[in-house]
Amino acid sequence: MLTVILQQGINGVVVGSLYVLVALGLTLIYGVLVQINFAHADIVTLGAFTAYFVTHLFSGNYFAGIAAALIVGAILGWLVNAVIFAPLRERANELLPLIATIGVSITLQNVMLVLLGPIPYAFDTPYSNNVIRFGGIFLTMQSVLIIMMSTIAIGLLYAFMKFTILGKALRAVSQDRETAALMGINPNQLIMLAFVIASALAGMSGAMLGPVLVLTPFAGTTVIVKAFAIVIIGGFGNVEGTIIAGLIVGLIESYTTQFLDPGLIDIVVFALLLLMLAVRPTGLIAEKREENV
Amino acid sequence: MTPLFAAEGLELAYGQVPACRNISFHVEEGEVVTLIGANGAGKSTTLRAVAGALIPRAGSMRFHGRDITRLRPDERTNLGIALVPEGRHVFPFLTVRENLELGGFKFRKESTRVRTLIEQMFAMFPRLRARASQNAGTLSGGEQQMLVLGRAMMSEPRLLCLDEPSLGLAPLVVQDIFRTIRSINAAGTSVLLVEQNARYALETASRGYVLQTGSIIVSGSCSALKQDERVHQAYLGRAAVAAGSQVPVSP
Repeated sequence: MLTVILQQGINGVVVGSLYVLVALGLTLIYGVLVQINFAHADIVTLGAFTAYFVTHLFSGNYFAGIAAALIVGAILGWLVNAVIFAPLRERANELLPLIATIGVSITLQNVMLVLLGPIPYAFDTPYSNNVIRFGGIFLTMQSVLIIMMSTIAIGLLYAFMKFTILGKALRAVSQDRETAALMGINPNQLIMLAFVIASALAGMSGAMLGPVLVLTPFAGTTVIVKAFAIVIIGGFGNVEGTIIAGLIVGLIESYTTQFLDPGLIDIVVFALLLLMLAVRPTGLIAEKREENV
Repeated sequence: MTPLFAAEGLELAYGQVPACRNISFHVEEGEVVTLIGANGAGKSTTLRAVAGALIPRAGSMRFHGRDITRLRPDERTNLGIALVPEGRHVFPFLTVRENLELGGFKFRKESTRVRTLIEQMFAMFPRLRARASQNAGTLSGGEQQMLVLGRAMMSEPRLLCLDEPSLGLAPLVVQDIFRTIRSINAAGTSVLLVEQNARYALETASRGYVLQTGSIIVSGSCSALKQDERVHQAYLGRAAVAAGSQVPVSP
């Protein structure tokens, strides 16, 4: 019994840490812009497919695939901001960018559907079948890799936000965009930076989710729905809350699969979301927004 | 000699709502100039235009003789104009030190310079040093006002614009803030001061402009303005003038 709990705990952390990477991107963009990028899901999917093809192209070099997915994600993020958010920001309408990104999302999905077809791709990396055993617990090298890579990515992002002047400027823009501009910070450049970082993370998590998920042009959508839940449970714009919520959702998912029924995953996650909204609508870690006079 | 800053015929509006008409004023190198007027007279609006947060419909602004009318706020900060906004606007979830560091954003590639500047600010405001690693949102109003003053000075501005620095502060703290403003000016920074407390403003500045419903109605040296009948009645009042003579001017 204990081994089952441990085993599922590890599986939960593996999936959860990838959800965290996706959700951190959403929350980063929401932080600086108070906008939601629905195309984030498709950047995850495109990251997964990029990694799939590049890994095959480089005869099984999975790391080349991850790197390519990261770059493709960054470019897509840059494009989404440059083409949609930046021009529409001038119009000062909050709804337009949201609807435009839904349009981009649907377009990308259908383009992928035409090019790649609806049949799931089997994405096996050289590490997928490499199993390590601790007592009764089985762990693929792929899982170890996922946990390592996402821990590094989250750690680097955290250090960037906490210790570099650009990271601090990014936080300043999230807290008070107009005042940040008075500091000599160009908010538009920082918003672009947020998009590039968020989308690079999404592409990279796609590369690692590819082997775990059912890889179709709609793969990202299933992830993004949970990422939204995580962002809300963790508190919009809150990095620590997002990390904790992501791991919780990952664990809930694997324990629900084990002890209840895999079909119940979404019901349990969204029941938690609704409970959270009712009890603590500001999220796990609430920042006090009132000004101290 | 060209003035440090000059505004010519500014027309300012929020969307379709006009706020200020035909605003012209200038600040000479080393001066403290004040804009006074009642609530809603257009003082803050004018200051927002100086900082670049509001682009004028017509008119022009020059800084060091250079046309800055269409520059963004961040570009103006990099040229040497700093604005302390009304209501202070610290970054509440950044520490005091991080707030100061961002004030020196334009020197971000010179880390020793930023460290030296932060030390200077801590010397000017010792209470900030004690709270260096505290979130700025937890400071008292007076401490926040000190922080935003220090944050603005981190960019080593030639022109420091202050929007209602006394707002909501206790009288003793206000005295402190004005003493600091005078010493900042004595060290060579020109100051453009918007203030509802006309008494303090006229004691601190050398020249002033009086705004009423979006236009400048009088201007001149502060000693002349203090004698002006309109200024007198509207902003000082007899009792206030008597009290005004007791305001400590020297640090």
